[in-house]
Amino acid sequence: MTPLLILCPMMILAALGAVWLARPVHAALFLALALALTAVVYLAVGADFIGLVQFMVYVGAVAVLIVFSLLITRPGDEAEELLRRPRSWVTGLACTLPVFAVLVYAASRHTCLPDAAPENPSLSVESFGRVLFTTHAPAVLAVGVLLTAVMIGAALFAKEAHASSHTEPTRKPNTPGDS
Amino acid sequence: MTPLSLLLIVSSLWFTLGLFAVLTRRNAILILVGIELMLNAANLNFIAFWRYGPPDPDFTGPLFVLFSIAIAAAEAAVGLAIILMVFRHTRSTDLNRLDSLHG
Repeated sequence: MTPLLILCPMMILAALGAVWLARPVHAALFLALALALTAVVYLAVGADFIGLVQFMVYVGAVAVLIVFSLLITRPGDEAEELLRRPRSWVTGLACTLPVFAVLVYAASRHTCLPDAAPENPSLSVESFGRVLFTTHAPAVLAVGVLLTAVMIGAALFAKEAHASSHTEPTRKPNTPGDS
Repeated sequence: MTPLSLLLIVSSLWFTLGLFAVLTRRNAILILVGIELMLNAANLNFIAFWRYGPPDPDFTGPLFVLFSIAIAAAEAAVGLAIILMVFRHTRSTDLNRLDSLHG
């Protein structure tokens, strides 16, 4: 419980930083911090394997991908964002506060679980792997196919459109003004 | 306060902050940041209920989280590739400027 009492306020602060800060790179770095803290929470509650996967995939891949995308796209300065904030934040708060109230109400009403329930044992990688690759083997294969398709699709999306630039020179001689 | 309640409240707050970012940000990449926050809030719920809920010998919670992380990684890769493609056409990732379909 003590590690959670330390980690949870840090997680909330990191998420606030990711939402609050106007400079996009700072927001993305706070997101990376929040994701790393989530991985530490997973380690603290006994889900070691999930914590390591979270650290490798989210902090190592997704957060770095977001930071690199920000560097490539060079977002504009934050002055415009700061000017727009008061109006958009009122709308945002009006939409999200009811959602937060409902979520907290639902979280405080988990009466089906006794308060002093015995904790589940920590995640054993061996038994987890056995369940993953026997009972859920089709799902693992499906995720593998999905990730392959995503890799090809993302590469095609991000590729420069060379096809159109190759066809343009062949069309130019046919245009009336060239002769 | 039990650890389960603590984790549930943190995940509620994370989800709300993610939704707030999606609704208020105009940069497409920062909207993706909000979506990642919401996805992580759901993952945190799965782990909290697995750890502090009824006995679960089948590891349902961690299995959901593992697949959710794989799907989230795929979503981030495709989302950022689309944003880069849009940036190449419009030289901007501000969603307010993407109005070429506006009648």
